[in-house]
Amino acid sequence: MTLPASIRRDAVTLSARLPSLIIAARRVAQTVRHGVHGRRRAGSGETFWQFRPFLSGEPSSRVDWRRSAREERAFVREREWEAAHTVWIWFDRSASMQFGSSLAPVTKIDRATLLALAFADLCVRGGERAGLLGLTRPLATPGVVERFAEAIATDERLRGASQAPLPPALPAATRSMVLMLGDFLSEPEDVARAIQAVSAEGAIGELVMIVDPIEETYPFSGNTEFLDPAGALTVLTPRAQNLRDAYLARLAAHRETIRAICARSGWGMSIHRTDASPAEILLALRMRLSAPEPGAGLRSA
Amino acid sequence: MFGLPLAFAAPAVLAALVGLVGLYFLLRVTPPSPRRAIFPPLRLLIGLDPTETTPARTPWPILALRLAIGALIILAMAEPLWNSFAALSGSGPLLVVIDDGFAAAPAWDKRMDFARERAQAAARGGRIVAIQTMSQGGQDVAPLDRAGIEGRLRSLSPVPYAPDRAAALPAVERFLAREPNTDILWIADGVEVGGARAFSARLASIARSVEVVTDNRGALALAGADNEAGALTAQITRSDARAPATGSVRALDVQGREVGRAAFDFGANMTVDARFDLPVELRNDVTELVIDAERSAGATWLIDERSRRRRVAIASGASADVAQPLLAPSYYLKRALQPFADISEWHDSSSDPIVSLLDQKPSVLVLADMSVAPGPELDAITQFLDNGGVLLRFAGTRLAAGDDTLTPTALRRGGRLLGGALSWESPKHIAPFEAGSPFFGLAAPDEVTVSRQVLAEPETGLAEKTWARLADGTPLVTAERRGKGLIVLFHVTADTTWSNLPLSGLFVDMLRRIVAEADAPGQGAAKAKVGAHGTVRPPLRTLTGFGVLGPPPAQAEPIGDDFSGVGDPFHPPGFYGSRDSSRAVNALAEGQALARADYGPLTVHEGALAITPPIDLRRWLLPAALVGLMIDALVSIWLMGGAPLRRPKALAALAVAAALGLVSVPHQLRAAEAAPISDRDMDAALSTRLAYVMTGDATVDETSKLGLTTLTRVLASRTSAELAEPVGLDPARDELAFYPLIYWPIVAGLPQPKPEARTRIAAFMKNGGTLVFDTRDALTARPGGSPTSEALWLRTLLEGVDVPELEPVPHDHVLTKTFYLLDRMVGRTAIGQTWIEALPPADPNDRVQRPARAGDSVSPIIIASDDLAAAWAEDIDGRPLFPLIPGGARQRELALRSGINLVMYTLTGNYKADQVHAKDILERLTR
Repeated sequence: MTLPASIRRDAVTLSARLPSLIIAARRVAQTVRHGVHGRRRAGSGETFWQFRPFLSGEPSSRVDWRRSAREERAFVREREWEAAHTVWIWFDRSASMQFGSSLAPVTKIDRATLLALAFADLCVRGGERAGLLGLTRPLATPGVVERFAEAIATDERLRGASQAPLPPALPAATRSMVLMLGDFLSEPEDVARAIQAVSAEGAIGELVMIVDPIEETYPFSGNTEFLDPAGALTVLTPRAQNLRDAYLARLAAHRETIRAICARSGWGMSIHRTDASPAEILLALRMRLSAPEPGAGLRSA
Repeated sequence: MFGLPLAFAAPAVLAALVGLVGLYFLLRVTPPSPRRAIFPPLRLLIGLDPTETTPARTPWPILALRLAIGALIILAMAEPLWNSFAALSGSGPLLVVIDDGFAAAPAWDKRMDFARERAQAAARGGRIVAIQTMSQGGQDVAPLDRAGIEGRLRSLSPVPYAPDRAAALPAVERFLAREPNTDILWIADGVEVGGARAFSARLASIARSVEVVTDNRGALALAGADNEAGALTAQITRSDARAPATGSVRALDVQGREVGRAAFDFGANMTVDARFDLPVELRNDVTELVIDAERSAGATWLIDERSRRRRVAIASGASADVAQPLLAPSYYLKRALQPFADISEWHDSSSDPIVSLLDQKPSVLVLADMSVAPGPELDAITQFLDNGGVLLRFAGTRLAAGDDTLTPTALRRGGRLLGGALSWESPKHIAPFEAGSPFFGLAAPDEVTVSRQVLAEPETGLAEKTWARLADGTPLVTAERRGKGLIVLFHVTADTTWSNLPLSGLFVDMLRRIVAEADAPGQGAAKAKVGAHGTVRPPLRTLTGFGVLGPPPAQAEPIGDDFSGVGDPFHPPGFYGSRDSSRAVNALAEGQALARADYGPLTVHEGALAITPPIDLRRWLLPAALVGLMIDALVSIWLMGGAPLRRPKALAALAVAAALGLVSVPHQLRAAEAAPISDRDMDAALSTRLAYVMTGDATVDETSKLGLTTLTRVLASRTSAELAEPVGLDPARDELAFYPLIYWPIVAGLPQPKPEARTRIAAFMKNGGTLVFDTRDALTARPGGSPTSEALWLRTLLEGVDVPELEPVPHDHVLTKTFYLLDRMVGRTAIGQTWIEALPPADPNDRVQRPARAGDSVSPIIIASDDLAAAWAEDIDGRPLFPLIPGGARQRELALRSGINLVMYTLTGNYKADQVHAKDILERLTR
């Protein structure tokens, strides 16, 4: 999704950019869905999942009599999508996400929003329910993207732009999946605490670090004053190029820490650079949703 | 300085260059602001051990640039001058002596520049400077400061005469006595007149060092003009063989118009004549001769009426003239008059001599011993006298025997014979002329004797009538005013039988003065009145040093009749007397030659005046510093990374900086740009076209353009008016005169045009153009309601413009009949009122019912409100651009017809008002 720079500059608030993001999200989701269809032809909702022994207390209507007639026990036939997954999505809307360097086509928050909406669309069309963590309940309506957008816009209007770099401590239910999008540049302990809070009830999830290319390449040299996006901190360095190696090492270490934290909770972690195609990461996320592989993470992209 | 022709007007400022060292250290430790970058993973950077801890330094290119800027500014403040004379030697006071006679006038500016440069250079060097001019030699020489030098030099101008240089010596000597170390710089004109040799000899003896600077050109001057028979001859003299050898002299009349032009070529000579081959009437109009391209009083020769050439008719009573020409009086008269008059004689024997001569309108009629019989001759002469002619008669046997009234005084019959065999007396000499006589000032030579004369009857007033007497007091020449004319009688013959006066030079001079009396009405009378004290002629118009006639200066004094010198401080060259009869005083004497000055022992720098003026380097230094500052700013911005400058943008910024620097540099370049006629005006003048005023509102302008384009196209297809593409105008800038019709849509919100626009549209309307204002407010205007904002805007615009009385277009106005028959003007709307110059009321005596009326001319202003151009406007495919109200193809057609009528009205005027009578006229013709 590339918008003219002027529009990007004008649409300072996220809500102002939401309409275009919705369209982009739908387009990306469609691309990805078609990709999935072409590979799997999985069919919808009717797929046989497994027979399991009948547990007492269950309604008798669930008994699959044909299967039960072969043996002496009663079996219950479970279908694959009968109880849809709940997917909780959260993305970072803090000031540091507003950053978009000249190397990137979009800001980080735009990319995060795009991914969040597209993923929600994908999930709902795949028969699952998607909800914005802390903003909406899980929804399965085809217009989930609009609903999410409305929720974001309402939240921004009522409470102003969210400055929280980490998700609220709302535990997601078991067997639900959580997608967290953000730059996760906070202290690793805070990240660990947030993930633990969310996955307290056993939800697994995926953490996607959105990275601006400039944060990875560090193309600075000479007398440079670095500013915090929130404007609170500054670092003045006369020769920025001398910090490059140390910075990159520290960045790698930070990522490893986060990755370890995720792995501890059985989460996956992946890194997405804003100059890469959103479809790529979305497809990976979608695949992970279809074949949950706790703790594996997505190392690509 | 350093062997370069470079000097500083304020060298003390250069000391500030030392400060550059301080600036260097200051700049070095204050690096440019760091580049600021927003960096979200800032937390990761905190606490990183920077391996490099030395503080940032200013990069050396920026350091060098800033130091250069500082140096440039300091240098500029020191006012550097290129080509200055500061390097010239000398330490004592400097006295600049300036020749300011007329010979210095042609190169006066150069002299002043030179004097200014040298004086200022000396003053900058701390020397005392004084300036003395030759014409103000009487004043004491006082030292001047730098401002004083400038003021003094500005106040100087050349004088129209050649000042006496000796008069300037005492002041110079006094100054030298006070300041013995003085160096003298004499900016001389290279001409001897005024005593250059004596002055230079004296200077050489009293001054420590004298430097003479002249131009290497010498002077050209006019030294006389001769109104000869057949041609006017100007004598030109030059002081130096290097003076221009060829050129031309212009003859100007009293109003300064060029009457004639004559070329001259000195060849190797120092004097040359230029001949004006002009008819005598034109030659007599010449009052001033001017050498072309030589602006000086010396190169101007004023001609008064004394040298005006008169036509003199000679009639003689003697019939034997032809047989013995040397004995005929007309021979002597011709010889004497020829140098200054055109002579006509009577040749045609078939007609009456006097009448036929007077038909040639002479100024002077000479009757040599001829009596005038009553009859047509007497009538003709009386009328001639009444018209101001001069009748000059010579005595002789016929006159003495005859009896007519055309004599100044009654004559005694018979005459008087002196020195003959029967006479006791010897031939008489002529007495010196009295002051009241026109001959006053002429010498009466002893060898002139009169042996016979006619005698005047003694009567009262005879003395006043007498212009010349014999030594015994008997009148020799008498004169009397008769009407406006004058009768002069020589009491001797014009040949040598009665006296030898006709053989003398005095005779020529006397005749010259008598002829000069012609065409000088009232002068003789005035002379008679003034009598013995002589005529005093106050200065009328005098020459400036540059040879321009102007009001006389305060110290100019009147001249007497006997004034015969050249111009001097109190009698500057010019015209003296009254407008009717003025006397010219010139800078040079008649026939005077200009000699090249000899400066004796002094060192002379010839041609040194031709200096190139020093160049003020500030002109280049300051813009260079400005450009440097801009580059510095750009580099700083780039270093800060605040605005990532892409290459084209940076180049553009640099170009702007350079352009700014350039425009502030050369005054000469800007002065040169004077394109008298733009291509656009040329184009507009060559083909007729409609025009619209560009309001500044893009939509309205585009609409006007498209509308007029459509109208032009429709005009070409339906009518014979094939106009060129319409143009948009800015009334404040463009010439409006080329356009017959200018469409001006009013946009209320925009600012009023500049005041020049108002003058231009006023002139446009005065000169017959038609302005069509379109307020486009038909939908909002309410009849009788408050004016719309467009109407108010238009009112403000037309304040101070002479707008005729207006009326709504009457149904019979010629505007509705010029091509189509229309009821009203229609545009995008069809309800608006169109106003036009009010017609004169219909003639109540006109019995015929006229279908159309028109004023005498096209209305200079038409105010429509129906948004005409919008109705015409079509896009490139011919589709209308705007919907019409109420709409329909018919309305669009009517709108176009309105436009056609409008254009036809402005192009053809009121002739259609006549054309509608064509039927009646044809009927009348065939009847």
